[in-house]
Amino acid sequence: MKTTFAFAAVAAFVAVSVPAHADNMVFSSWGGTTQDAQKAAWASPFTEKTGITVVQDGPTDYGKLKAMVEAGQVTWDVVDVEGDYAAQAGKNGQLEKLDFSVIDKSKLDPRFVTDYSVGSFYYSFVIGCNADAVSACPKTWADLFDTTKFPGKRTFYKWSAPGVIEAALLADGVAADKLYPLDLDRAFKKLDTIKSDIVWWSGGAQSQQLLASAEAPFGSIWNGRMTALAASGIKTETSWEQNITAADSLVVPKGSPNVEAAMKFIAMATSAEPQAALAKATGYAPINVDSAKLMDPETAKTLPDQQTASQVNADMNYWADNRDAIGEKWYAWQAK
Amino acid sequence: MSTFSDASGAIAPLPKARRATGFGGVLPALAFVAIFFIAPVAVLLLRSVLEPVPGLGNYAQLIGSATYLKIFANTFIVSGLVTVISLLIGFPVAWALAIMPGRLTSVIFAILLLSMWTNLLARTYAWMVLLQRTGLINKMLIGMGLIDKPLALVNNLTGVTIGMTYIMLPFIILPLYGVIRKIDPSTLQAAALCGANRWQCLTRVLLPLAMPGMAAGALMVFVMSLGYFVTPSLLGGTANMMLAELIAQFVQSLVNWGMGGAAALVLLVVTLSLYAVQLRFVGNQNPGGR
Repeated sequence: MKTTFAFAAVAAFVAVSVPAHADNMVFSSWGGTTQDAQKAAWASPFTEKTGITVVQDGPTDYGKLKAMVEAGQVTWDVVDVEGDYAAQAGKNGQLEKLDFSVIDKSKLDPRFVTDYSVGSFYYSFVIGCNADAVSACPKTWADLFDTTKFPGKRTFYKWSAPGVIEAALLADGVAADKLYPLDLDRAFKKLDTIKSDIVWWSGGAQSQQLLASAEAPFGSIWNGRMTALAASGIKTETSWEQNITAADSLVVPKGSPNVEAAMKFIAMATSAEPQAALAKATGYAPINVDSAKLMDPETAKTLPDQQTASQVNADMNYWADNRDAIGEKWYAWQAK
Repeated sequence: MSTFSDASGAIAPLPKARRATGFGGVLPALAFVAIFFIAPVAVLLLRSVLEPVPGLGNYAQLIGSATYLKIFANTFIVSGLVTVISLLIGFPVAWALAIMPGRLTSVIFAILLLSMWTNLLARTYAWMVLLQRTGLINKMLIGMGLIDKPLALVNNLTGVTIGMTYIMLPFIILPLYGVIRKIDPSTLQAAALCGANRWQCLTRVLLPLAMPGMAAGALMVFVMSLGYFVTPSLLGGTANMMLAELIAQFVQSLVNWGMGGAAALVLLVVTLSLYAVQLRFVGNQNPGGR
């Protein structure tokens, strides 16, 4: 009987997990090449400077984050999340307020700063095209929805997130500054017209594969993936016409055991030099306005922050307030 | 193992000790099940009736929504299809394995097991590359002049069925092999001597004798298919979304645990009821009895 109880006790102990050590902090992101770049550009110099070890974890999972906060057993100190999620979680009380006496926000792009989050990097949905596979590449969202002028399959992001609905409305002629509140019925009606020509991508690697193999020779892609694709030797074309921006954000879950270290880490990660280093490695834009001058102009030119004239900002607050309602309609439409 | 005899409190001859351990011996296992299975399910159940507001709202929403019902139906259709095709392909393979010379058997087993041990994501991506419009299969068929337009083999029901059947085949072949190998070849000889033709030998002797293996394999494949996530997500289109993907969306992305919990619980209840029905069914069909 004793062994039974000992076993149960051990199991229970394992189940509630162990808090992180004081000289450590944990950073969670989405894995893959982006997290590798974040480790090299942010975590390594941070550890060098402060002596605090940054343990990498991931992938980020909102369900897990919520569970940690609710159970009071938070093992992530800084988390890379999507902008609309950051806005929602901040409102729902699941995040620590950021300490702007430690984090210098004067140099940060104000579009991506809230009380609870700062941008991690920012990206755009652009119109990407495998120029080897087609005679002409679509230039605008209207082109991408025009199956007569541009026959063939096109690829879009599968999940309910900022990007596709905006593209549909822009293609249907809605002015960029009149997008919100989103006219969902109109968007889905427009999407209906190309539904059978859509191949969905659910992750960045898949979007690259679809374009490279010409399974879907064009579509709406994260700009960083186009940079990577061009580097792999495929002849690509990227149209920045009405590129739709969204940002990843850095947040601190409520109850993080290393809030102080977390604030210092965010301060470092959002400072000019590490932001520039990350941009160089990923093709995503820095959110620190001083970073651009630290990069060679050729690289800087390919980033979304140089395309602001034709840029459409996805409204993270609108998405945060309407995530569930949009999601429900989105999946209903997809499954139809 | 010494724990077991300790728990019984007696040092007895082995057979008696085994009987005597009774309830005490299974306590660690019960505790394990309670902690790692029952507790999470209980939490899920609670969440599904408490969030966002107490009541059966989540279940009403699940049942009242044509979308969710469609996803449920689709989950069962895909799983059924995969089970039937796995059986149709798996049975002859298992039979061949059972009557083949030993060395060839081990080669085929090695292939089966190697495929099982290869990373699931890698295998699924490989199918994607093979099946897509610009993929190997379509290119070959076009090259041979058999078709002039690429076939839609992926991002639809066909893709999911092919990918999942491939992954499930070992789970049906292995139990079937075990059962078929135990069938005494002389029963088939006896049937033939009594005047049964080949078809009768198959349908009236071999199939009934292999039934427990078929039922066990089919149940395993069906139940595993119901909860399948990776392959349908990558090889299917949005019109063939399966339940696991919906649950993952609720939990990870929309952070709507109430709905996620409700959907997961419905799946669990359906699965367990099927299991119960199947147990009865197999129990009656098993010539050896239970």
